Amino acid sequence: MSMDEQELVRQIQDGDEMAFAKIVNIYKDKIVNYLFQFTGDYQSAVDLSQETFMRVFFKANKYKPIAPFSSWIYTIASNLARTEMKKVHKAPTVSLDDLHNSYSSGAFSENPAQSGITRNIRQSLRALHPRYRIPVILKDMEGFSLEEIAQIMKRPIGTIKARISRGRNYLRRDLEAVLKEEDKDLEKKENSYGRA
Amino acid sequence: MEELNLLEKLERVKAPPDFEQKVLSLLSERKEKRCLRVRNLRFSFAGALAVLLVCFIVLNVFVFRGKESLDFSGVEKGVPAGAKRGEKLRERDYLPIIEAVEYSGEIQRPSYESQTIYILEQVSEERLEQIKY
Repeated sequence: MSMDEQELVRQIQDGDEMAFAKIVNIYKDKIVNYLFQFTGDYQSAVDLSQETFMRVFFKANKYKPIAPFSSWIYTIASNLARTEMKKVHKAPTVSLDDLHNSYSSGAFSENPAQSGITRNIRQSLRALHPRYRIPVILKDMEGFSLEEIAQIMKRPIGTIKARISRGRNYLRRDLEAVLKEEDKDLEKKENSYGRA
Repeated sequence: MEELNLLEKLERVKAPPDFEQKVLSLLSERKEKRCLRVRNLRFSFAGALAVLLVCFIVLNVFVFRGKESLDFSGVEKGVPAGAKRGEKLRERDYLPIIEAVEYSGEIQRPSYESQTIYILEQVSEERLEQIKY
């Protein structure tokens, strides 16, 4: 953690709103993106991000500088996301309409064009259990090291390694199954057009 | 590892432009709510303490003081037990306890031990008088 961030956190602990605004500015995009990858819903990602920053302000006194601040904020975000998932308590499926809406309203995305494979991989990612999804996202999308992920998830590094490996395997298997189904559908369509 | 490359290529989203303002306004809202909650908590705590104090006073004055305890020390034969009880309780705040002690087993009969001389001494903790035989 940089000295600036450490100083900002110390100021937040004293109730400084300006320091808090700076922290929000530094982390807003990262947290919103992480929660979007986790939940798959832009609006709930934004809401959860706001709640994350609220926790950062009100629980700042609980932060101890033994771990990087980024790990702490990602831990809060992960816990909130997991709680939200439990609350929603539904299968993590996304309809194409929802996807279309979220992308069309996502004026803030860098690359709104979604190919079929990207859509499939996102769907497979959402189907993963949070136990595997969190380390996979943190490692392969956010670029955290194993040590950092271990700090965020409060698990040993060995466990994190195993979860990432297992998560990738599940993802690969799911993706292959989805692709096979799509191929079959395509073949059926082609056959039906051929007959017509 | 094809999917991993794809994971990296998945689109990244950004926070909406007014995100910071929303967070700050939410913060001020939460702060106000928190202040209000603390104030309410303080009032309710003070109220609870006041109620407890009133209960304590009421119980002490009207319930515990009003109860009469039993006193049989001054009861005479033929007089009902409760007749003088009220007066006695007003005079004294303590209960005298009279304990009957059986000494008959302590002294052996002189007929069996004719050579034994019994010296009876006055035992008192209050006076230190010379004992004369």
